[in-house]
Amino acid sequence: MKIGVYFCKCGTNISDRIDPEVIREEVLSVPGVEYFKTCDYLCSEEGKNFLEEDLKGEKPERVIITACSPRDYEKTFRECVSKAAINPYLMQMINLREQVAWVTADPEEAAEKATSYIRGAAARVSRHAPLEEQEIEVCPDVLVVGAGPAGLKAALAIAGAGRKVVLVEKSPMLGGMPVRFEELFPNLECGPCLLEPVLAEVLQEKRIEILTLSEVVEVAGYCGNFLVKVRPSPRFIDLAKCIGCGECINPCPESTPNPFNCGLNEKKAIAFAQTGGLPNAPFIDSCVCRRFKDEDCRLCQAACPVEGAVVFDDQEKLLDKNVGAIVLAVGSALYDCTHFPGLAYGKSANVYTSMEFERLLAATGPTAGKVLRRDGQPPETVAIVHCVGSLDNQHRGYCSGVCCQYAFKFNQMIKHQLPEARVWHLHRELVTPGKEEFALFARATGNPRATFIRYANLGDVRVSERDGKSEIRYEDAAGRSETIQADMVVLCPAIVPAEASGRLAALLETSQDRFGFFEELHGRADAAQTKIKGIYLAGTCQGPKDIQGSVNQGMAAAGYVLSQLPAGKKLSIEPITAMVDEAACSGCRVCRKVCPYKAIGFDNAKGVSVVNALLCHGCGTCVAACPSGAMTGRHYTHDQIFAEIEGVLQ
Amino acid sequence: MTQQNQADGGNDTVEPKIIGFLCNWCSYAGADKAGLAQVPYPPNVRVIKVMCSGRIDPQFVLQAYKKGADGVLILGCHFGDCHYKEGNFRATQRHRMLLRLLKQHGIEEPRCRLDYVAASEGEKFVQVVTEMTETLKRLGPLRRCVSK
Repeated sequence: MKIGVYFCKCGTNISDRIDPEVIREEVLSVPGVEYFKTCDYLCSEEGKNFLEEDLKGEKPERVIITACSPRDYEKTFRECVSKAAINPYLMQMINLREQVAWVTADPEEAAEKATSYIRGAAARVSRHAPLEEQEIEVCPDVLVVGAGPAGLKAALAIAGAGRKVVLVEKSPMLGGMPVRFEELFPNLECGPCLLEPVLAEVLQEKRIEILTLSEVVEVAGYCGNFLVKVRPSPRFIDLAKCIGCGECINPCPESTPNPFNCGLNEKKAIAFAQTGGLPNAPFIDSCVCRRFKDEDCRLCQAACPVEGAVVFDDQEKLLDKNVGAIVLAVGSALYDCTHFPGLAYGKSANVYTSMEFERLLAATGPTAGKVLRRDGQPPETVAIVHCVGSLDNQHRGYCSGVCCQYAFKFNQMIKHQLPEARVWHLHRELVTPGKEEFALFARATGNPRATFIRYANLGDVRVSERDGKSEIRYEDAAGRSETIQADMVVLCPAIVPAEASGRLAALLETSQDRFGFFEELHGRADAAQTKIKGIYLAGTCQGPKDIQGSVNQGMAAAGYVLSQLPAGKKLSIEPITAMVDEAACSGCRVCRKVCPYKAIGFDNAKGVSVVNALLCHGCGTCVAACPSGAMTGRHYTHDQIFAEIEGVLQ
Repeated sequence: MTQQNQADGGNDTVEPKIIGFLCNWCSYAGADKAGLAQVPYPPNVRVIKVMCSGRIDPQFVLQAYKKGADGVLILGCHFGDCHYKEGNFRATQRHRMLLRLLKQHGIEEPRCRLDYVAASEGEKFVQVVTEMTETLKRLGPLRRCVSK
């Protein structure tokens, strides 16, 4: 085997300590090495030209370049080698500058170390195999799951770049949480007003296919080519025909607690999710509607001014969608407050969650925006309990980040609506990060009717009812037992993963963190990507955050999609991946367990593991784990590394 | 492969040979960082770069001893920093297992050192190599009952 060695002097950086002439003879005695050439600066234009031309003339079978760190210049030299029509993976680089010349005082020792590395490299490179980058076709369409602020912005950005988007939303309306809030912190802007223009854009964007009342039920394939099954539940209303007049609703004889108002009022079997909710069409709840109880009621259809808008025989469908990438933006949920029995949630009529209180404040809510108790009376005193579950390792060991701010918002909204009402803030900590939030905090603490109390332990807070009022007993931070009275108690629960997160994570094989949120590729540097290539994260399904954070992450996810899967381009597959020898594979699947990227599948028919080269990152963990030696790590094979070990030790 | 190995009683004249398996992303970069500082350290280590410490097969370590190494370093990213998320956990698990195996072969625990060197920790790399060299000088050469 003809091996050519090129020694870069790096000016004098390398040659000052390692004289190429001193090692020349020894290098030429290394098996396979046929020539040894030096160059002043191999990375200079001149040096690269010399290398390319010399390789063309010498036509070695393998190349060794002794220079600086491969972390700096391996890519450059691989390109040179390629230009000389030699496969770039038939070249091995030795780091003589950073790891020998600069750190070895004695020239004799440096020369010995250098030649041992050359022996190792020669043994290794002679076992190298030519590797080729492969390319695959990708589907440019994108699936966005969840139509809250994060999903909507991601969908719009991707569609804006000319790509088709399938937007799947499980509820009958778009907009996620903020469309259900009357005002938003920190500046008390109108919530629906913020999102309506975005929603209008989404509804008018022809490249976005909106599927409401829909769920993702099956996912196969991988980055560039996912095959997704989406199941839209029947709405029983033809969205193309319905004009959203609402004439159908009043005649409906059946009603049920309204989940969109947290059960604080009733809705008809046919109803809008929320007044003004988009798409502007009602839906029929088949669990409530008389027709689904074998009664022949057609009152809604009779009231409808449009022929064929009410479709009683609407069926559940199963749609196949082929997409190249998936953005998960399924949002989050609130911690179940009954985990704190002392707070009497669900037992005392005066105790509300923050979501229920938001609906009381909302013009589209059960009280048309009036803060009224269940008995119809406005409260004279409202106690807001912060950190219900948050900052507590027994419950949720993190700060939910938004609760203090919406609690301050409640403080201000109560002040505006009920100027005489007292507001108590019972908190573990108060958190106001960000450039605008402190002003809201200052306004809330400046409210003369507001009192802030730090409790010692939420588990010891006891809410009981006496004469229609709530009595709250607690121990303050100084250890004093105190009692306050309130007409309403509002609990601020921790933000927790949505129910769908676990099911989706299992479908997509994406990991969840210890709290159940979708796990990011890297907490700081890559929080909008999952560990699975082609699946991205946006909004609170990755962790608690406010609207700004969600929207930004939606845009970040869109950016990843557009840069990693550019339309019309093929996806290149790194050649340094793992590979299964099917004849040797025993089917034990240890490799699948250790793969951090779910890149290894299993062929049940053959009983062997199968590496998806597109998903494989080439770490080699499975190679080291395989008990049968059936897994090969390309470019880092056992054979190559064994030879290198033996070579450097000679 | 080896038989009971006796310390040669601090024979400083024998230069120990060390094989260092370094992950590409943290520890190899850390070794480069040490190079940038241009402060000499013992020349005894021969670095073998792997993409991830999770690639380090216990057989590599045994091969190193068999072929003449007196000690082996396994250097990876700190927990939580692994470029491949969890390869360094695998390396740690395998190292624990390896120590038990080496003991049966009479190879002392300090001859196989696992440590974590970040890309910024040039000084730590120097410290690990220096300590390892001193340790191996103290232990003396590894005796082998089979030929290389």
